[in-house]
Amino acid sequence: MLAEGLIMQANENRIEFSAPRTHFLSGKPLDRLKDAWAVPFDFQITLWSGTRNHVFRTLADRFVISYDVLDEKFKVDKMIEPRHSAKNLSAAAAETWCLQQMALTDLNGLSPTDKLWARLEIRAEDVSSRETLPFAHGAVTESGISLNTLIEILSRPPPSPQLRWTEEAGPVTLETLRVVRR
Amino acid sequence: MNRLLLGCGLLLIWVAVIRAEPPQVSDNALPQVQSVVLAEAEPLNVNSRYTVEDVQVVGWHVKRMSDALKANIDRLKGEKLDRPKLEVIANEIKRELHVPKVDVTVVRGVNVDEVQVTFEVAHTHEQDLELTVARFLYHSKQGWTAEGSATTHFGGNAFTFGLVSDGDAMLERFAGVRAGIERGHIGSDRVSLRFDFASYHNQWNRDTLMADSDQTYRTRQVFEPQATIVLTSYLELDLGTRFSLYRLAAPGAKAESSNAVVSTLRYHQRWGSDPSEDEEANASYNLTSATHVLASDPAYTRQTVNAAYKIRRGRNTFDLAFLAGKIAGVAPLFDRYVLGNASTLRGWNKYVLDPLGGSHVVHGSVNYAYRWIQVFYDTGAIWDRADQRSQKHSAGVGFRARNFQLAMAFPLVSHPGIPVFYAGMNF
Repeated sequence: MLAEGLIMQANENRIEFSAPRTHFLSGKPLDRLKDAWAVPFDFQITLWSGTRNHVFRTLADRFVISYDVLDEKFKVDKMIEPRHSAKNLSAAAAETWCLQQMALTDLNGLSPTDKLWARLEIRAEDVSSRETLPFAHGAVTESGISLNTLIEILSRPPPSPQLRWTEEAGPVTLETLRVVRR
Repeated sequence: MNRLLLGCGLLLIWVAVIRAEPPQVSDNALPQVQSVVLAEAEPLNVNSRYTVEDVQVVGWHVKRMSDALKANIDRLKGEKLDRPKLEVIANEIKRELHVPKVDVTVVRGVNVDEVQVTFEVAHTHEQDLELTVARFLYHSKQGWTAEGSATTHFGGNAFTFGLVSDGDAMLERFAGVRAGIERGHIGSDRVSLRFDFASYHNQWNRDTLMADSDQTYRTRQVFEPQATIVLTSYLELDLGTRFSLYRLAAPGAKAESSNAVVSTLRYHQRWGSDPSEDEEANASYNLTSATHVLASDPAYTRQTVNAAYKIRRGRNTFDLAFLAGKIAGVAPLFDRYVLGNASTLRGWNKYVLDPLGGSHVVHGSVNYAYRWIQVFYDTGAIWDRADQRSQKHSAGVGFRARNFQLAMAFPLVSHPGIPVFYAGMNF
């Protein structure tokens, strides 16, 4: 079911998610990956049933992604049990693989006719904020506060806020999702 | 003195024991994952399997880097790529060169499964004048202390000019100017030479004046030529002389000189590549010997041992510090030991402990910090004669963020008085 950028699919007794328009492997996180860092991404999917006030399930996981600077392919490690990893992935394949690991498998208590809403939140670890603090490395040292460095740091443009991605879907029903699947 | 040396020895042995298995902090130290695609477990960062083939620093006069930093950079060659460690080195370059930005790039090497690392130092910040607030402190019993300096480079020499007013480090409040010139390479990268000059006006606390005003002086000038020899990447030796001229405060008294040979052996080592998971050890032995051979009025020998160990594990930081010293002979007040300031026996008033300073000192300090909150315990003794020796204790609580501190400290006595409050940076 396509609603905004989050797609829900019912497959037997599980609900799978995909977000083909959401590219979190971009911008600053991608720059950092290409600088040979491993970057953690936190994923959370919240599912409401019946009304928007009733949270049916919350799924959370952390994926650590690294970019092979020689092979130019991504490697992803799922950090919460059961742990998995995959490598030699393109950027799009890495993004898809993460969401594939977030499927909802426990549908007990969910009626086929209940309305469902879902929200996907992805957050990259904000590594840049530490570097832009006025008293971060370089400005304050054992030799004191370097006024020149402080001026330089305070003159920098503000960091890009795009380190979070949110997509929503719904309302749909489990029944509808199964029909769409067929 | 034997007890002092024994204490120092025990501290160093303790540090050596807990250093027996240094932690390897890197991407590889994060939890391993079981692969569904691959049979064997692998490091989280796929680049950790590559070996560093070559390391370059570009965009700066690399010659001005210290040997210790160059050695740290050279040690990366041949090691597996440890990305957090590269950032630690980049931060060391920032600190040493006083530049705001050092970019790290990792590219394909010439050989299979090898990479080349480049530290690119920003060109934009190569100033002619570096302004630094070196230190400031407010202490509720001692008042303000502050120090600032300006440094510029010319022809391979660093010129420094500074202003200082310090009511914390010594018995006296000394305020005045400092100037220095340093040349980094004298025949070898391992030898540097510096000349420091200072001229101070001195003020005294009433307790010191009442104890013995004849020892106090109104002004003090210091000239200190010194050579630093880098013995290894962890050991440095300072050798030099210090010529001090001070004008005694007593009416009709003449100016006196304290001219001494000064040597300091320093040890510094750091372990761990992640700033939040590291260990650091510092130790030094200083010998100051004022002698009539150098036309010194007083003749004395001052020996001081300092040792400090710090360990950080996530949000927890634990510090140990030890100080011991002994003066043989009669030293002027500026060379006598002091306890009860913002770094030793915090909570005590240094003028209550010994208004004229001591010729013997032993001090130990334990600090624990969780995130920004710290608690500490100090203990020590300062004395001239053995029968004056009395061990004192103090404790405190406060906030600490990097080099900034704000704390309240109490002397541990049966009827504690008003606590000492202090706040500042780099003291």
